[in-house]
Amino acid sequence: MSDYIIEMNHITKRFPGIVANDDVSIQVKKGEIYALLGENGAGKSTLMSMLFGMYEPDEGEIIIRGEKVKIASPNHATRLNIGMVHQHFKLVSNYTIAENIVMGMEPVKKHFGIFKTLDQKRANEEIRALSEKFGLEVDPTKVIENINVSMQQRVEILKMLYREAEILIFDEPTAVLTPQEIEFLLEIIESLRRDGKTIILITHKLEEIKKIADRCAILCRGKLIDVLDVKETDTKTMANLMVGREVNFSVDKPEPEYGREILKVEHLTVQNEDKFEVVKDVSFSVRGGEIFAVAGVSGNGQVELADAVAGLLKPSGGSITLNGKDITHAAIRSRNLEGISYIPEDRQNVGLVMDLSLSDNLALKNYFMPPFSRGSVIAGEAFTRYSDELIEKYDIRSGQGSETVVRSMSGGNQQKAIIAREIELDSSLLIFVQPTRGLDIGAIENIHRQIVEQRNKGKAVLLISLELDEVMNLADTIGVIYNGRIEKIADAGTLTPGEVGEFMMGVGGRHEKA
Amino acid sequence: MKKHDLIPFFTVLLSLVLGIVVIALLGKNPFLAYYNLLQGSGLAPKASYAGHKGMITDFTSFLNALTPMLLASLSVLIALKAGLFNIGVSGQMLAAAFVATVLVGYSELPAVLAKPLVILIGLTVGALVGGLVGYLRHRFNINEVVSTIMCNYIVQFVASFFINVFFVDPVSRQSKNIGAASRLTLVDTVVGDYKMDIPLGILVAAAAVAATVFLLGKTTLGFEIKAVGSSSRAAEYAGIRVGRTRVLAMMLSGGAAGLAGVTYYLGYFCSMQPRVLASTGYDAIAVALLGNSSPIGIIFSSFLITVISKGSTYMSSTAGVQAEMAAALTGIILLISACGAYVRERLDRWKENR
Amino acid sequence: MNTIIIDGLSFALPLFIMAIGGIYCERSGVTNLAIEGLQGFGAFCGALFAVCIAPYFAGDSPVPFYLAMVFAFLGGTLFSLLHAMLCIRFKANQVISGVVINILAMSLTEFMTKQINASIFKAASNKFVLGVSARVTVPGISSVPVLGAVFTNLYPFEPVIALIAVIAWYVLYRTPFGLHLRACGDNPHAVDAAGIEVGKVRLIAVLVSGALSGLGGICFAYSISANFSSNIYSGYGYLAIAALIFGNWKILPTLGACLLFGFARSGGYELVKILEMPSSYQDLVMVLPYVLTLLMLVFFGRKNHSPRALGVIYDKGAR
Repeated sequence: MSDYIIEMNHITKRFPGIVANDDVSIQVKKGEIYALLGENGAGKSTLMSMLFGMYEPDEGEIIIRGEKVKIASPNHATRLNIGMVHQHFKLVSNYTIAENIVMGMEPVKKHFGIFKTLDQKRANEEIRALSEKFGLEVDPTKVIENINVSMQQRVEILKMLYREAEILIFDEPTAVLTPQEIEFLLEIIESLRRDGKTIILITHKLEEIKKIADRCAILCRGKLIDVLDVKETDTKTMANLMVGREVNFSVDKPEPEYGREILKVEHLTVQNEDKFEVVKDVSFSVRGGEIFAVAGVSGNGQVELADAVAGLLKPSGGSITLNGKDITHAAIRSRNLEGISYIPEDRQNVGLVMDLSLSDNLALKNYFMPPFSRGSVIAGEAFTRYSDELIEKYDIRSGQGSETVVRSMSGGNQQKAIIAREIELDSSLLIFVQPTRGLDIGAIENIHRQIVEQRNKGKAVLLISLELDEVMNLADTIGVIYNGRIEKIADAGTLTPGEVGEFMMGVGGRHEKA
Repeated sequence: MKKHDLIPFFTVLLSLVLGIVVIALLGKNPFLAYYNLLQGSGLAPKASYAGHKGMITDFTSFLNALTPMLLASLSVLIALKAGLFNIGVSGQMLAAAFVATVLVGYSELPAVLAKPLVILIGLTVGALVGGLVGYLRHRFNINEVVSTIMCNYIVQFVASFFINVFFVDPVSRQSKNIGAASRLTLVDTVVGDYKMDIPLGILVAAAAVAATVFLLGKTTLGFEIKAVGSSSRAAEYAGIRVGRTRVLAMMLSGGAAGLAGVTYYLGYFCSMQPRVLASTGYDAIAVALLGNSSPIGIIFSSFLITVISKGSTYMSSTAGVQAEMAAALTGIILLISACGAYVRERLDRWKENR
Repeated sequence: MNTIIIDGLSFALPLFIMAIGGIYCERSGVTNLAIEGLQGFGAFCGALFAVCIAPYFAGDSPVPFYLAMVFAFLGGTLFSLLHAMLCIRFKANQVISGVVINILAMSLTEFMTKQINASIFKAASNKFVLGVSARVTVPGISSVPVLGAVFTNLYPFEPVIALIAVIAWYVLYRTPFGLHLRACGDNPHAVDAAGIEVGKVRLIAVLVSGALSGLGGICFAYSISANFSSNIYSGYGYLAIAALIFGNWKILPTLGACLLFGFARSGGYELVKILEMPSSYQDLVMVLPYVLTLLMLVFFGRKNHSPRALGVIYDKGAR
């Protein structure tokens, strides 16, 4: 009997085309906070998915509490007291908090001894008691779609605790939180550890590991690189191990040379599909040669703001001016021609037509113009010529070149294709929304370089990012959005990350006023 | 040519084998029955022919039946390309044919005027009904599957009402026959020793196929239709007017259905039956799926389905298999081709893993 | 007035039970356009069984009718297995699958009806004659004005449907299974993570839909058409879909929509009769429910929200 609660030995998992885990072995002690560090695609989530029973390893063994087990399903993992908070929450949006937590293990009462009914009252009481016990207060009767992300995360944690999980896996839990919420989450994780839980934390953020983890396993391209004692290692070493080379944390960026005003947004108000005001009275302007970065926690109206500027959402009030021309009510096509390039958040559903070829996608915004078509007749060879050129220039990798169906390309290359198309439009304004989400460090560096390059060329860049680091690294000007309002606009140099974080929470600048 | 393009062939093969089993279980000779299908379609010689009839006359009358099927399948196909499911082909056919019959079919216009006019009316009325469906989708977000079905019933009963009240033939209980001048099939034309039905509509159908190939492959509208059909959100993002594209695609689809309608009711037949919709519109879905959603593919698949349905009468009289067997066979082909996507995915995965 | 209520109810209730089936199916995330085919196939099975056993019972015996209902229920379930297989196992496009099943049901039952008539009953007929089931009137309460009509001249299937509807409502909204089912239509990943098999829940939902559709079909066969023939495919299934969309995928509002269809139809017929118009004018009445559906969708369709995961093929791996 070993003193490890979890042992995963020589785990190998292959997916078509890649080896996600290659002979990885980790051992976790009871009651420790064990971090898995690695870039996107390093195999952290795959490894934990196997521990949680979502996949079965091709090779290797899993030992829980000294017993060799084959974890066949999440259900089985739950019986082994393993719980997981996934990166994308698995919540039923129109159910209450209590319903979400008890689902699958509902308290029931019987009518006349036969009719089983869900005991709503008992469920609510149980959840209230549970949440108080762990200091995770929630109102069990609230509906998921009406609570914020951090509260939803609590629901996910409570789901594990309700199932009496002893081993808690967190998959990138801080990606969607503000610095203050992250602080609170880390406290919760610490207190769970004090209650005797074992915690595995998947992350690529070094500070968090430094703050709470005991040990840290570093994965790179499916292989285990090293297991480190966090107390005795500095972040720089961890970072270099994670990427497998020296990391340059900051972006080379010359002093800005601002040109004329290109985008001007005044008193913009936008409603979403449910007629709910998500952007409220927002005003700002972006000059040529300027990167205007909008910082904010997910769901505070920043995506709708970008959509409204690009024309995908109709504003309900205010005005948008591009190069001195009012485009508030212009059609999307005419905005594009007027000079807007837009790299949308949702690459696969918005940025690309996944079932068309790469060449069709690269010409998606100018197929109707010469040389791609004359009148309304398309010239196929112009498509191929143009796309061959862009594939070369932007190093877009695909199976069959221009003819590749975009769906079959990797996420990174899909994003390259979108950026290639948008940059080549040579627009005066480029809107980037979450341009590096889900990409590995190499690709991120490359995209950051391209963004700065466009700015240096005198283009106006509107960058919307949930990653505070990205905002701090790239921005010339920062606008912080909270609850649909721009709370603060300032030169990037004048704000610290902590201050930005406060504005992101809607509590910024309070002490100044007091 | 990619490997899984063979899937439609296997689909057909599997269905035919299933058909063999069923016919054999019924105690009939399946191979004779299938041969009868070919004979009935003028693709194989029959044992004997009535006066002035022969294989060639059977074949032209087969082409006569093929014409509306081909056009109806094109209609389904164009809508499918735009991501829309036109189940209302039958209704659009009847609407177009009804208007053409009332306006031209019962008139005294000479053939040179009447025939083009019938085609034009068919195209226009079909496009209008299709366009309405597209508009309902665009403006009110009404799923086209529901609205086309509602339109089917509305057209069916409204046409039935007018036929019964104003245009009924008291003997046949159908609408009165249209004049020969406006009919798109030249009936009982004497060619040499034969009296044959010459379907002028097949020319219309051929032109429509060519136009569709050009539209989808070589025009900006075709590009827009494909983009909207694959991802309406991405299309909108690219500046394509999604609603307009959908309405246009439904108009084209309806237009093709309208052409199918006039070649069916004013070509293959010369009257309309109240309260009945042609099954062509539904069979066309099978044809389009089987044809792998390509205009060239549906030439082959509509050929096959028409052989089955056209030859069934002869099969029923000779081999003694119920004519309804043909429809059932079509249904089975449709069922198996619906599984095609799954087989395709499986094949791809299998190839990747190899 | 009474006739409108009586006939309206006898049309609305079978429609309602099919719509409930549709709600089960769609709330679990599986689009169901196959109701039309399912009700036809169910009615075929029920009618076939009734015709087979009819010789063993007295002409006015209600037993064949009840047994027919049972077999229609089973037949619909059996045929819906096909939809379940295509949508859940084969991951086919659910709309295509629905349309395919409708066409297949139509052609298969037509073929089999003729074949069976020819080879077993030695008759060249394309229908099974069933007759109209006997009607009952609840004594006492039926003499109450207006409301009494609800209890007058009832088809025996009407109370059966009412009972099943209550059970269906209870299961969907009050039991753990109902909770799982509705969750499947919103976020199947959450259901999976809770250790419940999405495929199984959806399978049951599709089968329930098939069973209830079959039941609805045989009720139409025993009331409006008095036989089984291809006439059974006159769009009842699609009307049920329209009703459930209009009812926003909720059982009670859907009942309202069904009643509206029923009364519009019976009211129209009554009008033709009162104005002494020739029978061909019935065609115009037949149009009413369909026009009404389109109009209702034009005016109310936008407000409705379909289940979030409706029609989305569930793939465990995708996130």
